[in-house]
Amino acid sequence: MLTHARVEFIVIGGFAATAHGSAHITVDLDIVYRRTDANVDRLARALEPLSPYLRGAPPGLPFHLDPDTIHRGLNFTLVTQAGDLDLMGEATGGGTYEALLPYSELRDVAGLECWFVNLQTLIRLKRAAGRPKDLERIAELEALRQEEP
Amino acid sequence: MEPRPPAFLSVSLDPSPAIEAYKRDVDRTLLRENLRLTTTERIRKMIAALRFAETVRHSRVKASPT
Repeated sequence: MLTHARVEFIVIGGFAATAHGSAHITVDLDIVYRRTDANVDRLARALEPLSPYLRGAPPGLPFHLDPDTIHRGLNFTLVTQAGDLDLMGEATGGGTYEALLPYSELRDVAGLECWFVNLQTLIRLKRAAGRPKDLERIAELEALRQEEP
Repeated sequence: MEPRPPAFLSVSLDPSPAIEAYKRDVDRTLLRENLRLTTTERIRKMIAALRFAETVRHSRVKASPT
């Protein structure tokens, strides 16, 4: 949906790990989006049909993911009709879209081209986040790096 | 003035004792199997596993030996 709408984004997190060969299951999609005016407009329009809402927030809050909301915030943890989505203007460690793009790979997913952060950078981002719960995932990613041809 | 490089670039990839400990338990046979797949196949496989996990999570006990 985002690719069809020409939204500029880079997949990080669990789905990027899966793309690289991780055996872990992930529930949410983490993306870093480009924060230009045009791209934020495209992003908001692409997500509107999925009724995005703040994950964990009580129902009925006057939340609307429009371009103004996106510009006033940075990172959003959302629930949508298509599943959980983490929209990040910047991943921990200075990972903006512009900073990550040189360290990303364009991959074909069911006929669509999407940018995924490369494996080494994915490991760096997880190490930068410094969360104890990521240690096991980092170990798997580093093992993947060793196993890659 | 030159922009500073992003912080993640300076994150060390040197071995860490905690990560190395977890690495010993990584099932590399699963990784090697996944590395034979295309990106699309890897993602489809993960989504299928996720759907199965959801099915199991919502399942009810039909019988119990005790």
